[in-house]
Amino acid sequence: MIATSIKWTRHNLFGKPFDVVLSLLVIPGVLWLAYSITDWAFVSAKWGIIVQSLRVLMIGVFPADQAWRAWTASAIIGAILGAGLGCVFSFKPHHGLVLLLVPVLLLIVHGGLGNALPATGTVASTILGWALTSYVPLSRKVLPAAAFTGFIVIVAIMAPPGVGLWGGLLLSVLLTLVTSVLSLPIGILLAFGRQSRLSSLRIICTWYIEVMRSVPLILVVYWIWILMPVLAPQWGLADVARGMIGFTIFYSAYVAEYVRSGLQAVPRAQTEAARSLGMSEFDINRSIVLPQALRVVVAPLVGNVLDIFNSAPLVFIIGLTDFLRAGQMILANPQYGDRTFEVLSFLLATYFVIGSMITYAARKLEDHMATGTR
Amino acid sequence: MTIHETSAVRGMVDHDHLKSRRLRNRIRHEAIQFGVIAIVVALLGLLAYAVKSGLAEKGIRFSFSFLANTAGFDISEGWTLTSGESFLPDFTLFSPDMTVASAFVTGIFNTAKVAFLAIILSTVLGTMLGVGRLSTNWVVRNLCFWIVEFVRNTPLLIQLVFWYFAVVLRFPPMASAAHFYGLIVSQQGVYVPALSWVGGDSMFSIALVTLILVSVVGAIFDPIKGMRRVCVAAAVIYFALLFVTGGVELNFPVANKFKASGGTSISPEMAALLLAIVVNSASFIAETVRGAIDALPKSQWEAAASLGLSRRYTVNDIVLPQVFRVVLPSFGNQYISLAKNTALGIAVGYPDLFNIYGTIANQTGHSLEGIIIVMASYLILSWIISTLVYWANRRLNPMGVPR
Repeated sequence: MIATSIKWTRHNLFGKPFDVVLSLLVIPGVLWLAYSITDWAFVSAKWGIIVQSLRVLMIGVFPADQAWRAWTASAIIGAILGAGLGCVFSFKPHHGLVLLLVPVLLLIVHGGLGNALPATGTVASTILGWALTSYVPLSRKVLPAAAFTGFIVIVAIMAPPGVGLWGGLLLSVLLTLVTSVLSLPIGILLAFGRQSRLSSLRIICTWYIEVMRSVPLILVVYWIWILMPVLAPQWGLADVARGMIGFTIFYSAYVAEYVRSGLQAVPRAQTEAARSLGMSEFDINRSIVLPQALRVVVAPLVGNVLDIFNSAPLVFIIGLTDFLRAGQMILANPQYGDRTFEVLSFLLATYFVIGSMITYAARKLEDHMATGTR
Repeated sequence: MTIHETSAVRGMVDHDHLKSRRLRNRIRHEAIQFGVIAIVVALLGLLAYAVKSGLAEKGIRFSFSFLANTAGFDISEGWTLTSGESFLPDFTLFSPDMTVASAFVTGIFNTAKVAFLAIILSTVLGTMLGVGRLSTNWVVRNLCFWIVEFVRNTPLLIQLVFWYFAVVLRFPPMASAAHFYGLIVSQQGVYVPALSWVGGDSMFSIALVTLILVSVVGAIFDPIKGMRRVCVAAAVIYFALLFVTGGVELNFPVANKFKASGGTSISPEMAALLLAIVVNSASFIAETVRGAIDALPKSQWEAAASLGLSRRYTVNDIVLPQVFRVVLPSFGNQYISLAKNTALGIAVGYPDLFNIYGTIANQTGHSLEGIIIVMASYLILSWIISTLVYWANRRLNPMGVPR
């Protein structure tokens, strides 16, 4: 045992003179860093603030007595995400156990059943959705319709207290979901437009995509936010809706580029074969090219969802209270002014966990999609 | 022409029929073409009309004349161009009595400054992280992996807020600032030694500067590789000569009670923005570099090993030169998104283009005109970066050189 570990150390840490120098420089630094982080996290950090203000972090300034609406909405989102997951990865009991760790942990830290209930509900519905689509293949067919209905129900449930009150992590997730769903069809249309035989359409789509890809998202969101009331004052669109429109307009261009790369990956022979069968241009694109193209770009599109989720904090520019702003709101309280590290590490850690899961899903999906091809 | 359009079966017999069919197809194609243009023009017209009437309701006129007005607000840092007494515009620090147009120029300058520095630093750091992920040292390999993974999976904005509020604002105050070889790190900003001109009007120094400039231009543009090396050497020698004869000298910052004088200062906001963007872009660049190294044929490594090259020479002389040829276009995309990311500076109060635009829009109400200027500036910035990368790519991959 000791011999193997010495061998491992010699091979992996002190293999060459340069490695020795690197090891001697880096290992003490890493150890010191690890020690100070652990020391801070378990001894001096006051995590109470996170536990106390968990509701604000999760749902922002949504009124406390209406919080059940937000919790129901998060349960529905959990079910939709779980069901989507189940279409690709089949559910295993140990997945459920890992997911159930979250409410259990919360129960221990929080010390009250009432506070851990929302998390339990969300996790439970995620597991249910996941199990449903993995064990009942028929349910996959109705998933799009069910997800659409779910979105409408979410809006209907969340709207009464006021759309302006949406916030916290829930707002970030909602914004990400709505943007990813809306930008997909627009992106597909733009990608086809960019490859169209009509030069006018091609030029317009190319310009749109290129302009959107070279200006910052924050500018587009802000621009749509001030332009919408000027364009359509009678609609009185809420800030949230304007933010979602801005995100969709921006990310459609990115989706279009991903889809275009997929379109180019479809062999020309496929189109030619379809033509020789006498299919119309529309039918070729819809049932021959697009399914094969989307298969290639599913993984990059999931990566794009991560991009959208990671840029969700930008909505601070139009005054929305997303996850980051909720954290800053807590820090604005002079009582908690010195808890910057605690709150920011919690935000980063949460984002890292969710982001890693999305990245992991994208990688798995890439392998999954690659297996079927020649 | 596709087969179903030309109708191969009947077309063979009836040439006239085919002709008229082709004509009809072409007319249809043109008609759709014009239809698309008409719809887009109509939509744009409608948009313009709606914006104009919407603005008229609020009593705002769409015009660019506000650019010549006096700004009336101050910007914490940044240089600008103003019309001075001479024919050439003056390059000075911004002050509130200058025009709105000068304020925009300050914003562009600040954005370009951060973007330029970040591009250089993130390329270096990113390459190091990317190569580090392939290190034979277990600790280094995993450290690089986790840094890249963490940074790529968390939002840049939260990283920026973290760097600003949790790192830069926690630096020691000036009185107890950290000193490293002339570098001063404090809450009030980071001060680095700077070169300053002490040559005055002496002909000798000015001639040396001209020679340095000429050699630098030669080092970049000369088509012959040997000449480029000579130019680099000449530039270094001239510079050393200039330094020795007292044309320029290193100006070290000196810490006073609350401020430091001398040297070049980097404001806390800029330091945070630079740190956040450099670390973030470096992680994405590292991922690109690692991907390109992985994509390199294994036989390259094996051939180098069979020649008895050490791993360091293999990486430096065999792998990296090939990798840089492949990754340059991806670097270009990363540079463009880096330049766009500088707009996040508004979150910590760095006066970049977008931040200054926000102030101008608030003060003058001309937000729509401003947006056109800002959008055009970002488009031009992206265009410049992609042109430079394209040019560098052509330089590294001359036509006809096989990969």
